[in-house]
Amino acid sequence: MRVPTPPLFPPRHIENKPAACRWRKSARHAAYLSAAVAFAALSATTATACLIPEGFARLASPEAEIAYRWQPERLKVGQFFEAEVIACPAPAGREVREVVLDAQMPAHGHGMNYRPTVTALGPGRFRITGLMLHMAGRWRLTFDLVRDDARTRLVREVELRP
Amino acid sequence: MKVAALAGGLAVVAATASGLAEVSPRAAVTFSEEERGAILAHGPWPPPISIDASNRASGRPDAIALGRRLFSDTRLSLDGTRACTTCHDPARRFADGRDRSIGLAKTDRNAIALANLRLNRWFGWAGAADSLWAQSLRPVIDPKELGASAELVQRRLATDTSMAAAYAGIFGTEFALEPADRALVNIAKALAAFQETITTGRTAFDEFRDALERGDREGMDRYPLEAQRGLKIFVGKGRCTACHFGPNFSNGEFDDVGVPFFIGPGRVDQGRHAGIAAVRTSPFNLLGAFNDDPAGPASAQTRHVEQQHRNWGEFRVPSLRNVANTGPYMHNGSLATLEDVVRHYSEVDIERLHGDDGARLIQPLHLSAREAADLARFLKTLSDDPHAGK
Repeated sequence: MRVPTPPLFPPRHIENKPAACRWRKSARHAAYLSAAVAFAALSATTATACLIPEGFARLASPEAEIAYRWQPERLKVGQFFEAEVIACPAPAGREVREVVLDAQMPAHGHGMNYRPTVTALGPGRFRITGLMLHMAGRWRLTFDLVRDDARTRLVREVELRP
Repeated sequence: MKVAALAGGLAVVAATASGLAEVSPRAAVTFSEEERGAILAHGPWPPPISIDASNRASGRPDAIALGRRLFSDTRLSLDGTRACTTCHDPARRFADGRDRSIGLAKTDRNAIALANLRLNRWFGWAGAADSLWAQSLRPVIDPKELGASAELVQRRLATDTSMAAAYAGIFGTEFALEPADRALVNIAKALAAFQETITTGRTAFDEFRDALERGDREGMDRYPLEAQRGLKIFVGKGRCTACHFGPNFSNGEFDDVGVPFFIGPGRVDQGRHAGIAAVRTSPFNLLGAFNDDPAGPASAQTRHVEQQHRNWGEFRVPSLRNVANTGPYMHNGSLATLEDVVRHYSEVDIERLHGDDGARLIQPLHLSAREAADLARFLKTLSDDPHAGK
């Protein structure tokens, strides 16, 4: 169920920037990194209004914005998990047609051992299965949002402990 | 917060000739909060064990009994002289003590000691099987191992009325009338049911880990100081926990650690690269008709596993439970002792790594002689035999 959500940052940002998204503080796994990136997005003018469902985290850049959640909610090293991703609405012709979620360990120079599968759940909504982060350490997760005319990358880093 | 000092005596810090600070052999060991978390993640032991839903014989006492019988049954080999126990000898912790095993011919790999197998995701050094039952089937028909066939096994066992009765009780069908591949799969499922019961007990490390969790100073002090120092290296500068983590001391995956994979002139053991190809094309994988839980979550690994260039020369990250009892080490048994293994990681030749570009996890640790001895001492405390490695 999608619910209207209050803004995390002062309302003036939203009021002054009508293109910015309204959202609520998401589940506890929303990291500071996400929040910092989100702040940048609040002053952007390219995204349209976006409602973030309860339990989802927000990730944004000046070019794009998504809501996402993991299942199970807490990522554990060596365990399969799924992601549900909602691309915020965009003007006609700029809709996200596909999301490619990948992960790399920058310190080790390798990615995942498994190729995720993306399933479209509806317009702008996707489920990604077959994700596994198989080593402890810092992982860089990339969400590539594929549109007809462009590909936009959003990045989230996570630190997994043994 | 620092964990309290774990042994008596003052911490004495001495400067080595090179100018690097080195802790005295008598110094107490302290662990940072991060190290403490990494240590606690290696337990508790034993973990809860679930049945294998892909194997309807899993956990059934009658299947376990049948599997135990079949495990030493030489009728599963082509010439009637070999059995599973040939390479997985119960008297040797279900390994054989050889560098590379000898079935009907000498194989290219070391026999992995069988224990705690329900904690595995993949099986074999290359993960060429995605279930224990599929792995149990593979050596029966491998020409270098037991060299039999589904038809031969069925023909031989069909005349065994006791075996046929046990089979019918477990699987509800008549063994002699089964399609040969189905009969072999079910034999393998009984073998798997037995092997699932092979577990390792609690160790000196487990006692230390639990004492650390409780804040039991006295209990922690019973753990040898050398092992404590080795543990600190294991979770710290050794970066061992990047792969050897969790209660089973393994991430269940594969890595290239610089062990040569050339078998002989013109012959290369591709390791995980070939393992992925094998498992994806096997009619006995979890995506196939023999999985008793086709809608279950276990097959996700097989559906999503991806063959990549870097899989060349990767081999499984083995569990370190009972490691002191299960040498020689590495996929080809090329390292005889735990001291050799520690020396390998201390001096690893990164030119041998086959991985893609980028900073690598495997780098020579350059351990001092005492650090190497401490790390080996720690590894020996992962055995449920208190005399292991002595």
